[in-house]
Amino acid sequence: MSTLSAKNPFSELFSYRQLLVSLVWRDLRVRYKQSLLGMAWAVLLPMSMMLIFTFVFTRAVKVADGLDISMPYPLFAYTGLVPWTFFSASLIGSVNSLVANRNLVTKVYFPREVFPLSSIGSAFADFCIAGSVLVGLVAYFHFTTSWTFELTPAIAFVPVIVAVQIIFAAGLGMLLSMANLFYRDVRQLLGVGMQLWMFLTCVVYPIHNDGSWWGVIAMCNPMTPIIKGYRQCLLEGTLPSGGAFLAACATALAVFALGWWSFRKMSYKFAECI
Amino acid sequence: MAASVSFQGVGKRFRRGAVHESLRDLLALAARRITGRKSRTSRQTFWALRNLDFEVAPGEALGIIGPNGAGKSTALKLLARILRPDEGSIQVKGRLAALIEVNAGMHGDLTGLENIFLTGAIMGMNRAEIKSKLDAIIEFSGIEKFIDTPVKRYSTGMQARLGFSTAAHVSPDVLLVDEVLSVGDVAFRHRCEERMREMVDAGVALIFVTHNLEQMRSICHRTLVLDGGEPTFVGSPTDAVGHYLKATMNRIGELSYVDNPRSEHTDGEVLGMTFLAADGSEVECVCPTEPLTMRMSFMLKRDVQRLTVETAIRRDGGEMMVSLNSRHQGITFQAKAGRHDVSIDLPSFPLGGGNYFAIVRLWDADRSELLAETPYKFMLQVDDRGKGTGLLSLPHEWSALKTVEPVVQAVRTAHPTEVIADTGVAAHDVNKGLVQPSP
Repeated sequence: MSTLSAKNPFSELFSYRQLLVSLVWRDLRVRYKQSLLGMAWAVLLPMSMMLIFTFVFTRAVKVADGLDISMPYPLFAYTGLVPWTFFSASLIGSVNSLVANRNLVTKVYFPREVFPLSSIGSAFADFCIAGSVLVGLVAYFHFTTSWTFELTPAIAFVPVIVAVQIIFAAGLGMLLSMANLFYRDVRQLLGVGMQLWMFLTCVVYPIHNDGSWWGVIAMCNPMTPIIKGYRQCLLEGTLPSGGAFLAACATALAVFALGWWSFRKMSYKFAECI
Repeated sequence: MAASVSFQGVGKRFRRGAVHESLRDLLALAARRITGRKSRTSRQTFWALRNLDFEVAPGEALGIIGPNGAGKSTALKLLARILRPDEGSIQVKGRLAALIEVNAGMHGDLTGLENIFLTGAIMGMNRAEIKSKLDAIIEFSGIEKFIDTPVKRYSTGMQARLGFSTAAHVSPDVLLVDEVLSVGDVAFRHRCEERMREMVDAGVALIFVTHNLEQMRSICHRTLVLDGGEPTFVGSPTDAVGHYLKATMNRIGELSYVDNPRSEHTDGEVLGMTFLAADGSEVECVCPTEPLTMRMSFMLKRDVQRLTVETAIRRDGGEMMVSLNSRHQGITFQAKAGRHDVSIDLPSFPLGGGNYFAIVRLWDADRSELLAETPYKFMLQVDDRGKGTGLLSLPHEWSALKTVEPVVQAVRTAHPTEVIADTGVAAHDVNKGLVQPSP
């Protein structure tokens, strides 16, 4: 006899994997239905951001040359913006996922983790599409500029970085979606918060720990070694530098554990509070 | 056999009043706590459901009825694990499917077909399972032609049909149904009832919450009445409906006496109505074939030259069954102020099994003035011994069997399809109308 007491959370969530796939697929279908460009938007958004920042840093304020980067600035910006877009889309999607699926939360039972996770899933699909365009960009700069690309084994480490980022986003996403359920202010705050966070991360410019308070904050931010890691593995042929990246992994796991534990603990209240 | 569903002393408490929904409210609350001022939003709680005990065996259909706010939906949500009980325990054996708003997961921008896959996944089916049942689902819904149209262009009824069709093919061990059948046309509702009966016969434990008492009675074996969050009755559907309606009618009665300004300055008062069997004993339950006397007692405050008395009877579902008015028989009574009795003798009471509720009205025929009126509160139960004859229990007799033409045995050896072909044009045309051309 199965009772209503909590089952093993991993196996329960695993048994709902097809629902997760279905919800991700629903999000994607709905997002790109009745849109002329469809999936191209996944590429156009980070691409246009890259063009904007390239214009700002190389034409408007002309600081790109002094940025101390080992690659053309557009490549630097794109390899920062694509994972960052994935991260911020994950959180912004998650934060509203429970409230937006109010119908399901109050009418049907399944593990509620599925909602923030499906938001991350659909952001991941966009990330993959936008990421594949990188091949073209790399080729363009390889053949037209003095910069050259070398394929190294370090590229095999990219999935690990992606996994760390997903774990971090999932933990935060669960915490945020839950908080937004009780206080809708969270969603508004997150919009501003993500802007600030982006500039505390080496997305469009490199950040070095120069010992100042600003440098310390930026280096404690787990997204800094993660974004930096993508560039190192993909374009510089080196593995992410030890300490900072390991600290980011530990933070990601801790946030995920805290997020999932509290999410499960609170989830029975969701239908009443929504 | 072990029960599929068991509720033991289940209770669910809710908070009255709004929960603070923005951070501003929380800050205000915190400030009040610090300054020691009492919060205006009271933290009172109330029990939406309490002391609920019941079991449902595999292959059994349990109905839950009760007035609005009685806790019916709360009970289903507890069962569906959407809410968690504050006391007691709930056990469910096997896979559970809840038809609580079957359209909850649908998305208007997706086509009917895409929504079948989505709804199916939400209800716990895997892709292979949905694929194997797809044809059956589409056929059941009866919207083959629009299956590739976005659901936002569907009518409400079509959306409900699509949702129910998917849910009806989940093959659960426990099925919860909450009022979803109220949409959809008569034919589809009928098909849903059939499907529910089929599932129950196949061993599914069904829990059915509804306000449609007739439908509930035709499907359920046992019925639970909830009122004010507590179970007030469990028993046969007919008895439960009687119990529920009696409580409801009494409540309406109390209300209408307070609210109805007509009753304040009328010159009559109905004291009661009793039902008497042939031997003169008072009864609450009758057999449709036996004679019945309906006796009404009333009080008049003034003399009435031409009094007419009327009684009307409604069935539990609300259908008006019959109205008996003395004036229609050309009868008026001359009555002085005081207490009076008047009776109607019926050779039989040919109505189907169920609960009936009667009213009494007194009229002054000369002035066309209503002297007194009661709500539908006098209850009489008709026991048709479970024959289920419908609304009526018509007195009738069957003739003896007469063989008009004996059939020659040899004809039956022919193959059935050949027989249809042999019957010629008429049968062929009938088929044309029924069979959908396959794509």
